[in-house]
Amino acid sequence: MFFKLAFRNIIAARKRSSVTLFLTSITTALLVFSSAWMDGSHFTMIQNAVEIYPGYIQITEKDFRANPSYDHLIFDASFIETKLAGNDAIANYAARFESFVLFSADEKAVGGMLAGIEPVREKHLSRLFSSLQEGEYLDGDDTNQLYIGSELAKRLQLEVGDEVAFIGNGADYSFAADNLIVKGVFQTGLFDFDASSAFVYKGYFDKIMAAENRATHFIVLPKKPGQAEQLAAAIAADLGGQYQSASWNQTMAALVKAMKLDSFFGYITLGIIFIVIFFVIMIYTLLAVFSRIHEIGILRAIGTTPQQILTQLVLESSMLAFISVVIGGLLGGILAYYFSIYPIVFSGMEEQFKQYGLAASEMPTAFMPLTILRDMTVMFVLSVLSTLYPIFMVNRFKPIEAIHHV
Amino acid sequence: MNTFLTIKHIGKTFQPDKEVEVVALRDINLDIERGAFVVLSGPSGSGKTTLLNIIGGLDDATAGEVILDGKLLTGLSEVELSGIRRDHIGFVFQAYNLIPVLTVKENIEYIMKLQGRSQQECDVRCLEVTQKLDIDMLLGKLPNQLSGGQQQRVAVARAVAATPKLILADEPTANLDSKTAESLMNLMQRLNEEEGVTIIFSSHDPLVIAKAKHSIILKDGKVIADERTG
Ligand SMILES: Nc1ncnc2c1ncn2[C@@H]1O[C@H](COP(=O)(O)OP(=O)(O)O)[C@@H](O)[C@H]1O
Ligand SMILES: [Mg+2]
Repeated sequence: MFFKLAFRNIIAARKRSSVTLFLTSITTALLVFSSAWMDGSHFTMIQNAVEIYPGYIQITEKDFRANPSYDHLIFDASFIETKLAGNDAIANYAARFESFVLFSADEKAVGGMLAGIEPVREKHLSRLFSSLQEGEYLDGDDTNQLYIGSELAKRLQLEVGDEVAFIGNGADYSFAADNLIVKGVFQTGLFDFDASSAFVYKGYFDKIMAAENRATHFIVLPKKPGQAEQLAAAIAADLGGQYQSASWNQTMAALVKAMKLDSFFGYITLGIIFIVIFFVIMIYTLLAVFSRIHEIGILRAIGTTPQQILTQLVLESSMLAFISVVIGGLLGGILAYYFSIYPIVFSGMEEQFKQYGLAASEMPTAFMPLTILRDMTVMFVLSVLSTLYPIFMVNRFKPIEAIHHV
Repeated sequence: MNTFLTIKHIGKTFQPDKEVEVVALRDINLDIERGAFVVLSGPSGSGKTTLLNIIGGLDDATAGEVILDGKLLTGLSEVELSGIRRDHIGFVFQAYNLIPVLTVKENIEYIMKLQGRSQQECDVRCLEVTQKLDIDMLLGKLPNQLSGGQQQRVAVARAVAATPKLILADEPTANLDSKTAESLMNLMQRLNEEEGVTIIFSSHDPLVIAKAKHSIILKDGKVIADERTG
């Protein structure tokens, strides 16, 4: 009976019901889409940042991340190699050796990173290959061929084919130096990275730097990037306490934190909108409930308990909220789904994006049904809550006061 | 004498403002028998509505006690009073006050449903009562599709269908023309006789007042006459 009454009352108060319905469903749609947008853009940014160079999982000697010196190198790269080769969850992996050297060309001398990489495997692991700007990428039989970041090349005034010397320390702390030829120039869009990095074939690097069977780290691409964390843990368990296996969550902790902070501020902005909507619905309900106070007094007079009046009115607002939230959730969900497949493209904004380390100007939304359900629940609870105060107000009256209330 | 309702030393003072006091009822003492058909009359402002509201537990008295069928109503909680109204008291208001979104049948069933009766029971009782009141052809209509007289008969049906011990009707005929008023009173009289329900109504229409077997006249919040004629 309360259901029937609630339903009829909603229909009877068509105007009020449709305004509430409209407000609540639009707000729900907004929340659902905003969540999808924030999650999506953060995911895109992190994915970009991860995939340019750092990789989903990094394996190091156990103390290397805290204290990155040659004392904490991986001294048995082939051991790790064997372990990783036997893991089915891994799509690709490669060893790297990063060292810091002084480059010098003509009058210029600039400090930077010179890393030995495995060019063929590295193609699948980072965007070094796809970031080629001029010349050529490295090969597995290169010797003193250099693949250099565009900004670093600019600072050293180098072009493809030019010669550059470097001086550094070998893995055994011996003095190492050689002449290199610029084979290719890359631009990832990450300015700092492009301004300080250069790569050579690891086979050559190992010889010149006394780094045979050594590495600063391995990077690993999981078959399922979404499960990087679990895989990192599994690898750590497999390798034993001598090594550390960290997922991007740890290696890029600062970025992850920044994204969380960004979400936090995003939700605060949404929260302010919600508070406004909350009060609009509350005032609206207050007016509506008070316009029915005489009727409520009559219901009380003929034997309806305050509890039953409460049930009746909460049922009305819940039914309305439920319908609104479903409509809003569908609407927001459809938008989130559409833009996850056909991402929003920010044409002409590539430059700004690159400052944030984004090599793309596409921003797909994240379509995650669970998040949508979460947002719908939040909105449902909020909109029902916003009707509670008016309902309690009207229920405080004695029947005779309610009947005579004007 | 089988006393059903006892009103002892009832007084009511309204205090609409801090400064103002309105004495609506002073030391009212009444005994009403089971199955009585009672009229409260008196000029406007004499306290009829106030007294009916206090008897029905819609309003608190400032002094005195109401004892309904051996049970003291004075001082009960809202929830207890709701239960008593639902199970034992039927109300008929001057302005009908049907639930606008419910059909005639649903209006009549409303209190019975609150009482927890089955749909089958409701159907049977609803038919019985509406036939007596000659509104059984209106069951599917909404209140706003009915005339005033029809609405008031539905209101009476709603009150009586839930088998209360007592029906309180505050000027039930005030909004009706005299012919409709008379037929409503005849119906109420019939219900009083056939169902044995005690009915107390207020009125200042001499034709309506004449129907009662127990006449109480109020003036300035006091009982100035209390006579049984039937
Ligand atoms: N809520 C109220 N506040 C103040 N005075 C009231 C209130 N209700 C009734 N009164 C006063 O109480 C007296 C009796 O009123 P009422 O019982 O309505 O009389 P009747 O129904 O006989 O016309 C009147 O003087 C009226 O003005
Ligand atoms: Mg009155």
